[in-house]
Amino acid sequence: MICQIDTNNGIPIYEQICRQVKFAIANGSLLVGEHVPSVRDMATRAAVNVNTVARAYRDLQAEGVLVSIRGTGLAISADALEKCRRSRLDMIGERLRYILREAMQNGVTSDEIRSLVQSEWDAMQMESSP
Amino acid sequence: MNPVIQLNCVSKRFGKVQALDDVTLQIQPGTVCAVLGANGAGKSTAIRLLLGFESPDRGGIEVLGMNPHTHALEIRSRVGYVSDAPPLYEWMTVQEIGWFAAGFYPTGYQAEYDKLTKRFDLDPSQKIKGLSKGTRAKVALSLAMAHRPPLLIMDEPTSGLDPLVRREFLESMIDVAAEGRSVLLSSHQVGEVERVADDVIVLMNGKVVAHERLEDLKQSVTEVALSLPTADVAPPAIPGNRVAHVAYGHEHVWLVRDLDAGRLADHCRSQELPQAIVRKPSLEEILQTLLRQNRNQHAAVMATPAALMAAKDRSINK
Repeated sequence: MICQIDTNNGIPIYEQICRQVKFAIANGSLLVGEHVPSVRDMATRAAVNVNTVARAYRDLQAEGVLVSIRGTGLAISADALEKCRRSRLDMIGERLRYILREAMQNGVTSDEIRSLVQSEWDAMQMESSP
Repeated sequence: MNPVIQLNCVSKRFGKVQALDDVTLQIQPGTVCAVLGANGAGKSTAIRLLLGFESPDRGGIEVLGMNPHTHALEIRSRVGYVSDAPPLYEWMTVQEIGWFAAGFYPTGYQAEYDKLTKRFDLDPSQKIKGLSKGTRAKVALSLAMAHRPPLLIMDEPTSGLDPLVRREFLESMIDVAAEGRSVLLSSHQVGEVERVADDVIVLMNGKVVAHERLEDLKQSVTEVALSLPTADVAPPAIPGNRVAHVAYGHEHVWLVRDLDAGRLADHCRSQELPQAIVRKPSLEEILQTLLRQNRNQHAAVMATPAALMAAKDRSINK
């Protein structure tokens, strides 16, 4: 599990960790039953404060994405895949709201945004298909 | 638990410069505490006082429960200290300097030093003289950490170092804190501070202007930007606790604590002003706004009319 933290994107660091763990579960790079790195390992790998990682893991536990396995640490829960797939759209939606607000504040219309989304999407698909 | 560092109404003056002005603060064990501020804000002076290199004009200091004035040696032997230009014996090798330093510390120092230099990928047989700045810094960090100090003090440790070495320094700080030990870090690398710090202290002209949990600071501060029709229109009162206000001609930027965004929107609507742009600033932006406002105020206080105009020009051109 590789965690890329960006301190300038306006998202609190603990939330960036939560999101990346959830995305990793949703796209299958973290599997149900698999352990996440210990708080200390994750903190060193991502070069962030230990308490920040601990907070992210607490949130993920509260959401039922991680479960504590006695004596061995935290693992991906049985229904995490389902949960993370469902919350994928919510997480993207949050980011989108941020961009839409910027568009609205600058007088961009909804039609303009819609066609922008479509053309960016198409361009990306062109790029990824050989 | 007793604080690892305690300053009580500490002042220090060098000639005409008030380096520290009635500073009171406490640093709790097991935390990474970052000291931020412009050059000359008093950060290095504070660190020199903690280590007993200077004595305060007024006030009380305790480091690990000891007074640096009377127990400087004990403090220096228990604390780890890294400066931006660590003085090292140039003619020794990486291994020899560890062996030499081990003589001043309890047993176990040498083994830990060897472990650290190995982790940092240092060649034990290389002479200090021939080392790059980054490698020298790693030697200094190894020397500062090999007695597993309960408190690690770092004064601009990563200035001028490449990203990889900076990263290794960050990881070391995280390790220290993960073991319940404390780190006091003075740095201009705000992005790094944002990653590793529990608490931040902002110093300006020798005074503490903020000392709190980084998370709380970032959570409570909002940036409000408002573009008024002309420079003559008086800016509205902002609902919330104003931290800073900087004007660039007819454009205004505020840092506000506990902003009432709803009331601000209503107010702009009722006064037929454009809607304000509200967002969460990064620590870097918070710091910049604080420093800029402070510089302008400072210029205004020292005010000859010419200095005042210059300050105004600066803030407009910026």
